[in-house]
Amino acid sequence: MENISRSVVKKDHAPKMSGRSIYVSDYQTAQSGERILTGKLLRSTLAHARVLGVDVPELPEGYFYVDARDVPGDNNVNIVLDDTPVFCRETVEYIGDPIAMLCGPDPDEVERLVKACRVRYEELEPVLDLAAGQEAFFDYRFGHGDVDAAFAAADKQYDETFETGYQDQTYLEPQGMMAEPEADGGMYVHGSMQCVYYVHGALPRVLACAPEKVHVFQDVTGGGFGGKEDYPSVLGCQVAVAARKCGAPVRCVLDRREDLACTSKRHPSLCRYRAAVKDGKVTALEIDVRFNAGGYSTLSAVVLQRGIIAAQGVYNIPNLRLRGRAIKTNTVPNGAYRGFGGPQTFFAVEMMMDHIARDLGVDALAFKEAHLVKKGDSTSTEGRYHFPVPLPGMIDQVDAACDLRKKRALYSQPQTGRYRRGIGTSLYFHGAGFTGSGERDLIKAVAKLRKYADGTVEVLAANGEIGQGLRTTFPKIVAQELGLPLEKVSYNHPDTARVPDSGPTVASRSLMVVGELLRRAAAKLKAQWRDGEEQEVEERFREPDFLIPFYLDKFSGDAYPTYSWGVNAIEVEVDTYTGKTKILGAYGSFDVGTPIDEKIVIGQMEGGFLQGIGYASIEKMAYDHTGRIRSNSFSDYLIPTAADVPNLKCMLYVEKYPEGPYGAKGAGELPLVGAPGAYVEAMEQALGGVSLHHAPFTAEDTMDTIVKEGL
Amino acid sequence: MVNGFAPATLQEALAIRAAQDVTPYAGGTDLMVENRRGVSYLFLSKIPELRQITVDDTCVRIGAAVTFTEALADERVPQIMRDALAGIAAPAIRNAGTFGGNLGNGSAKADSVLVEFALDAKLRLVSLSGERIVPVEQFYLGRKKLDLHSDELIAEILLPKTGWENYYYEKVGGRNALAISRVAFAGVLRMENDRIVDLSAAFGAVADTVLRLKDAEGMLIGKTVAEAKAAKEAFLSRYEQDLTLTRGRVSAEYRKAVCLRLLQAFLEKFGI
Repeated sequence: MENISRSVVKKDHAPKMSGRSIYVSDYQTAQSGERILTGKLLRSTLAHARVLGVDVPELPEGYFYVDARDVPGDNNVNIVLDDTPVFCRETVEYIGDPIAMLCGPDPDEVERLVKACRVRYEELEPVLDLAAGQEAFFDYRFGHGDVDAAFAAADKQYDETFETGYQDQTYLEPQGMMAEPEADGGMYVHGSMQCVYYVHGALPRVLACAPEKVHVFQDVTGGGFGGKEDYPSVLGCQVAVAARKCGAPVRCVLDRREDLACTSKRHPSLCRYRAAVKDGKVTALEIDVRFNAGGYSTLSAVVLQRGIIAAQGVYNIPNLRLRGRAIKTNTVPNGAYRGFGGPQTFFAVEMMMDHIARDLGVDALAFKEAHLVKKGDSTSTEGRYHFPVPLPGMIDQVDAACDLRKKRALYSQPQTGRYRRGIGTSLYFHGAGFTGSGERDLIKAVAKLRKYADGTVEVLAANGEIGQGLRTTFPKIVAQELGLPLEKVSYNHPDTARVPDSGPTVASRSLMVVGELLRRAAAKLKAQWRDGEEQEVEERFREPDFLIPFYLDKFSGDAYPTYSWGVNAIEVEVDTYTGKTKILGAYGSFDVGTPIDEKIVIGQMEGGFLQGIGYASIEKMAYDHTGRIRSNSFSDYLIPTAADVPNLKCMLYVEKYPEGPYGAKGAGELPLVGAPGAYVEAMEQALGGVSLHHAPFTAEDTMDTIVKEGL
Repeated sequence: MVNGFAPATLQEALAIRAAQDVTPYAGGTDLMVENRRGVSYLFLSKIPELRQITVDDTCVRIGAAVTFTEALADERVPQIMRDALAGIAAPAIRNAGTFGGNLGNGSAKADSVLVEFALDAKLRLVSLSGERIVPVEQFYLGRKKLDLHSDELIAEILLPKTGWENYYYEKVGGRNALAISRVAFAGVLRMENDRIVDLSAAFGAVADTVLRLKDAEGMLIGKTVAEAKAAKEAFLSRYEQDLTLTRGRVSAEYRKAVCLRLLQAFLEKFGI
């Protein structure tokens, strides 16, 4: 193991484990010593309606009603587009759409006032069906080769549709933000978030003030998983507008039910795949991807882009025609969740390959292997796989861990009895960093190191610790490069008043992109180190020379500089009496380049893999015919516990990325992406070779299949 | 503001229960979640009389404030009950949750209550004016409705000492821990001289209270295993016909299919 990979005690371990960390809900008073007012949102109870008016109860002294009329600037939260209002405009677009915020000193009284508000609606027809939705926020098309010719020449054609459901991030700490008016007329906004500069970018427009008049701080954050990428901008603008009106600090922390029902989730998807096969090989794919965007566009553009770029999987398909749409529905806006569009399309393509193989009478894994991309091959967007593709070695690693090939053959034999077994595999990647030219054109990351006179060094960057370990791994990189003990290098939660914009904490980019800036900055600092002096160095992002420029309008070029790779195998045992599935083993080989702290990386792999297994099996969330999400509590929306996958084996396979710090690549999202394909493929085998088309595949679905198939 | 009473003896607790409008509180694992405002609690978890497990000639008597963890570790508690206890929530909840609380919450999903139904357990209810012994199935009047007077407390659960050895228990939850039962089944078969002398088949979490179809159970009583085998089809179809499930978190179709399969597994276990 390399020195940098050796595990250390995380810098935030002691305060978190001892309960001393201060989360946004822990503050007793504002910075100024003032009492904090509680804000609570009045939310729409209808999926689509015109709001005719709100009958607000008489407000006691010191209580406030805040709505769109109180927004000093634009009533739009900047995310990708600007269609998400701070408080609703004339219409509400989903159940939970914020209409107003009630604020005041006593939380119980605020709650009573929210309940006493009467909203007068004129009901409008909601769009709830993803398949039938006509309005697309985004509609992308791209492809390569000659699809029509390939289909015309095909021996066989296939046409299947795959569906995936919601998944909620279920971070331990619910969403919460606080705004404090400052003496100089500025606004201090802080809370639970991933991206301080996203919130910072949204505020001036809403408050109609100069960017210098706001600053944003990330409090200790109890998990994000993507769920705190965009939503804190919305909630942050709401509390800031409220604080401006009240002239007092306002904090809004969602309760769990509100958080589950009203904040962004993984996009449900519907993917139609048509495949042409000639001489036992897939020669063309025609793919139609629909993501359920919800009521506003929020992050759907970028989630969809990542999803469709990955839609042909890890396979070399000479001819591709793809259309991807983010469909507007009158449901909660969906956004980022670990994997960011990838889990949906990788599920579809893995199942499609599996089904074609079965129809051709060949083993699915062998069929997939025959189509694998390799170094130098073209990507779906006619970029290049510039570095070795380690999948064959990773498949061997998984095979060695669980006898994959042998079990696959064994379980394909006819089975009888109460318990039936299956094993499934998935092969996938996660493009490391922002999609397309985002790093170069949009983010333009800047990171700094500040050396103090006493010889300690502080990392100045905007990336937030959300459990992934950045407060430890950033200092590790800097300490290694400077040859300092780790205690001499610190990294605190970012405050936009103190740190440069090194970009958002998203896209598995922080360590790979910002970590490398810090490594270079440290090398620079080392070269000019002067004892006893305060010094500062800065590094700016520059795009690697080898990249083929990416054009979003054509979807052409390198969408990612490099890729992290994954191979999963999941072995199941189905109880045909109860429909319950026991996971006998879940095996993952993950290539995230050099691990910057092995324990942290393995923790990420295990956690992400388990989240993926939950997504594939038990995490069921849906809305009813009125657009209401009913599974809005932890007794209805079940996520896996430690008791659910006792045999989880995660292995690392290192293919270094020369442009990442010490060879590291993106890690955080990868382990979630492949689980649904492997799990549902295993279920197909256990259920006697049926073809399945959706995830999650629950105990109810299993029993349904058992009854239908007479198993 | 929560008002609480923490009596040291059962007598003291009953006096408070009679005089005040209080909610009995043992482990608090349901009540803490409910977090009702303006409620006065009567804390029972430290009352010695409610904290014991004793055995007499016919019964294992479990105090209402005995925790699941304590009962799990006590070999005098019938194994069928301990199987059910092992599947309740997770260790932290089992360390606090009690038999009395599981009953008092009134849910048909309570895992210990299912076994009490299957074993025809009796409850000892006490008040200042005396005590009464009530069969568990009469204690449950309907969904969240209990035959417990406002001055009474549940003191003990009386389980039969023997007769439960041939049993089949299975809980089906949405995951392996911290899961409310979607279906739970407890079946007991008692044989004497190669004949079935008693049979109970109890279904939890499928209706307002635990469900037993006594008429259907009677179909196999008095029969040998071979005779029961011959009557099996009629027995199972009776359940298929008469088991009426309420709507729950998961579909009634799913739960019914599972109920019938578990009933079948119960019979299969004993060669029927």
